[in-house]
Amino acid sequence: MRSGSSGRLAGVLGATRSAGGPLLSAFVVLLVLASLVFFSLRILPGDPSTLVLGDGAREADRVALRARLGLDRPLAVQYAHFVVGLATLDLGDSLTRPGVPAFREVRRALGPTAELAGVAVLLGAVLGVALALLAVGPWFGQRREWIHRLLIALAATPLVAFAPIVTFVLAVRLRLVPLPGDPDSGPSGLLFASGLLAIPLAAQVGRIGRAALLEQAKQKFLDVAAAKGATPLRVWVIHALPVASGPIFVVVATQLGALLGGAVVLERLFERPGLGSLMLNAYAARDLPVLEAAVVASGGLFVLAQGAASVVTALLDPRGLP
Amino acid sequence: MSREGAVRRRALAALVPLTVVFLLSAGAVLGSDRSPTRLALRLSWAAPTAARPFGSGDAGIDVLAVVSHATLSALGLAAVVSVFGFVVGTPLGTSAALRGGAVERFTLRAADLVQAFPTFLLALAVLSAVKQPTRVHLAGLFALSSWAPFARLSLVQARAIAGAPFVEAARALGATETRVVFDHVLPNVLAPVAVQLGTAAAGVVLGETALGFVGLGPADGVSLGVLLEQGTAGMIRAPHVLVAGAAAVIAVSASLQTASEGLRRWATREG
Repeated sequence: MRSGSSGRLAGVLGATRSAGGPLLSAFVVLLVLASLVFFSLRILPGDPSTLVLGDGAREADRVALRARLGLDRPLAVQYAHFVVGLATLDLGDSLTRPGVPAFREVRRALGPTAELAGVAVLLGAVLGVALALLAVGPWFGQRREWIHRLLIALAATPLVAFAPIVTFVLAVRLRLVPLPGDPDSGPSGLLFASGLLAIPLAAQVGRIGRAALLEQAKQKFLDVAAAKGATPLRVWVIHALPVASGPIFVVVATQLGALLGGAVVLERLFERPGLGSLMLNAYAARDLPVLEAAVVASGGLFVLAQGAASVVTALLDPRGLP
Repeated sequence: MSREGAVRRRALAALVPLTVVFLLSAGAVLGSDRSPTRLALRLSWAAPTAARPFGSGDAGIDVLAVVSHATLSALGLAAVVSVFGFVVGTPLGTSAALRGGAVERFTLRAADLVQAFPTFLLALAVLSAVKQPTRVHLAGLFALSSWAPFARLSLVQARAIAGAPFVEAARALGATETRVVFDHVLPNVLAPVAVQLGTAAAGVVLGETALGFVGLGPADGVSLGVLLEQGTAGMIRAPHVLVAGAAAVIAVSASLQTASEGLRRWATREG
């Protein structure tokens, strides 16, 4: 047997070594995504300058825009310029707001989205774990099966359908919560929006957490803990939950993409500023530098979060490491 | 009554909600000359009446017509995309599992990444080249990632089967590798993987709805997401639009989930 500290150290080393794979794949994913944005605009039929300026634009304006975006140069040169721009975080200025670098727009939008998503992950994880515990523990007797059914129903309810309905009932009709798009809504508006975003996550965490806890319930050490006089709460929270936390981290990581999609829907619903609103506005106005910067930056964040989750998972359970 | 019969009856019962949703919307589309795009400014945001049971939306569109046409087209899109994913992903996953080694690991990792990747980002990256997406663009977009769950599932399934005693026996009896794949491995992979069709279809419906909601819907506006967006904009004046849109989305997605759960029970012979 290894001692605890050297075992932990081996875990950290293994986790960083196994992070080499994710790092490489993160780089590949980002490059593929960035190239997709780049080439879909330039290879597919249709003139980007017409997309930006509209059909009725004068030829002189078009030529000027093409020169400004570098569209008049050979494709290989454009691509090289684009990749260098990504590496130095400089894709040029926004088209709709001249003089403002595209990446500065992205940085400004990052804060509100990070707040929304961060609070949602926290709420979703806590709520999901609580529901999972209630669904396996003895507190509800046979009725705990209802919690399981509730989790299944919540997981199957689409955010894009229930968020507007809940908002209509709670914020417009009953006026129990402020509309999160309202600048004065403050923390309670953020809490309401994050709460909506957290519900699908909580349902997934609850389902997987319940299965993981039930798997632990077959192990003898829980019986030992109970025989030594531990209360059910202590048995499940102190003894079973830490062992079951691996799958819970994995499910949070796999839900991050869906979470980003949900954040975009909510930003649109509440007209909140953020990455989603920035991308949608850039798409509508054909602000190509901002669109490219925002898509690549969000892809980078997504890949980063996935990598972090896989490192945490490896630390929690180093057995699966090569 | 035999257990097998009971299992089959329950699986068929799980298909009932999907059939009802399909028949209702097909009936509303074929059985009347309602147009989902005809405007009637006079009826803007009007409440439900006998002539228009779901009421009217922005600029007086007939909400019932939009709901039925959009539901049908969402189901059609979902069917095309999920069958495409099944047809492409299953051979991919199966052959990767039989090849083993680095090919298998790479396929698994790629499938995981594609599956978890935000559709929305992919949509912006691909759709930025067109003025307003059409259904063909949307189908192409969802097809880009539709193979991943099928490849992943068939890979895991094929890996389990490739080591099974009956496959080894076939090899020992002198069966060629092609014969092993087509006669012994694929038939046992197909059923469990096909179960994924319902989940994949539900994912496409919700993805299309979410894209429509944020303004990346089809140009003609006949989409449940576009209707939801309209309902949100008019929720104070005319909540019936929002309620009709949300109910339709929930009905379609829940009926697809129920069907896929029924298929799963049938495929695993679970009562």
